[in-house]
Amino acid sequence: MMTEAEIRQKLREWVVRQSGKIRPEELADDTAIIEKRIIKSVRIPDLILFIEEHSGRTIDVEQLKPGVFRNIDTIYRNFFAVKADGPGPEKA
Amino acid sequence: MRLGCTVFICVHRWFHFVRFAEGVGAKMRGLSDLVGKLCEASVQDFYSPYAGLDWPEKLEDDAWYFSPELISLFGSEAYAHLDAQGQKRLSFHEAVNFFSLNIHGERSLIEGLAYRLYRKGNDDYTRYLHHFLDEENKHMVYFGTFCVRYAAKVYPDKKMVLPRDYAPGEEDFLFFAKVLIFEEIVDVYNKRMAADPRLHPIAREINRLHHRDESRHLAFGRRLVKELFDRHSPGWAPEVLSGVREYLGDYIRSTWQEYYNPAVYKDAGLPNPYDVQKEALSLPSCRSRHEQVSRPWLTMLLRQGILTEDPYHDD
Ligand SMILES: [Fe+2]
Ligand SMILES: [Fe+2]
Repeated sequence: MMTEAEIRQKLREWVVRQSGKIRPEELADDTAIIEKRIIKSVRIPDLILFIEEHSGRTIDVEQLKPGVFRNIDTIYRNFFAVKADGPGPEKA
Repeated sequence: MRLGCTVFICVHRWFHFVRFAEGVGAKMRGLSDLVGKLCEASVQDFYSPYAGLDWPEKLEDDAWYFSPELISLFGSEAYAHLDAQGQKRLSFHEAVNFFSLNIHGERSLIEGLAYRLYRKGNDDYTRYLHHFLDEENKHMVYFGTFCVRYAAKVYPDKKMVLPRDYAPGEEDFLFFAKVLIFEEIVDVYNKRMAADPRLHPIAREINRLHHRDESRHLAFGRRLVKELFDRHSPGWAPEVLSGVREYLGDYIRSTWQEYYNPAVYKDAGLPNPYDVQKEALSLPSCRSRHEQVSRPWLTMLLRQGILTEDPYHDD
């Protein structure tokens, strides 16, 4: 089981690797990764697989609001900070 | 002297304008000729997706549903470790994934086609959009029937469209360019599997039926994408143009990635499905399969100047 700090670190690494443009020191947990087009919509399926792998939960994309991927904070809160039998991510 | 010069420039500009207008006119005529032929062919080939397919009550385990060489894991260690039975089981889930990808692609295609019917600027090809839309709906019927009847599910779509702004013509161009790339890849798979005698007849037949319509969609898409690019790209700022090219490169990569679905590997009984996916995606043999399938249309897009970078020659 990973700690919150480890998960956030893994998410930051993923964003840096996928964007190919942003340096680790430029990325904070509240950086708007979608709005600033650091992560584009074509990379969302990959992000979803990444979250599924590390959270152990299956994500129902049809039920998601676009805002859930706004930054590392929202991703953590929506997919990792909830218990496996908890309410799950914010619904549309 | 100055007057002479002005007259010369005016005549010169007029000459260029006429040549440009004639060029556009000829291209439009070319497109509407093609549209006429494709509409005729679609009428000739009109069929019901509810008749003609022989759906077995149950599928046998001991059969191939996807050509082994096209299975995403072909060439990986995970694949080599499966016995013949396991490989065939995986081929069934790969077929369900392939049909699911088509269902999701077709759903957003139908939305986009419906939106473009009778819109200004589309008069040349609206009549073909009726056939395109009709045929895609039929494809969803048989892809959906296979998935629901034999797997009791369609693998869910992981794509999300995030709203953004577009330059004039950019959204239309990207819509049809993405459809073209998606259909080009699918069609190579369809043709190979329709002709593969190892496959269960229902899998072969679905691939054959799909290819029949897709060859027309591709003829239309290849022409229209080039034409939309020639029409709109001269007005785009350099950063729009480079953004479009980068986006298409990303789209090609993510389209291929969808063929590697960890949920498929899990359903086929493979342990560590996410690791299996990453292993396969990093294999040179997988990359060369993508390149081989993509080469003909990639060469076309590069020659037309739509793409300037070959995604398989970057390192
Ligand atoms: Fe189709
Ligand atoms: Fe099609």
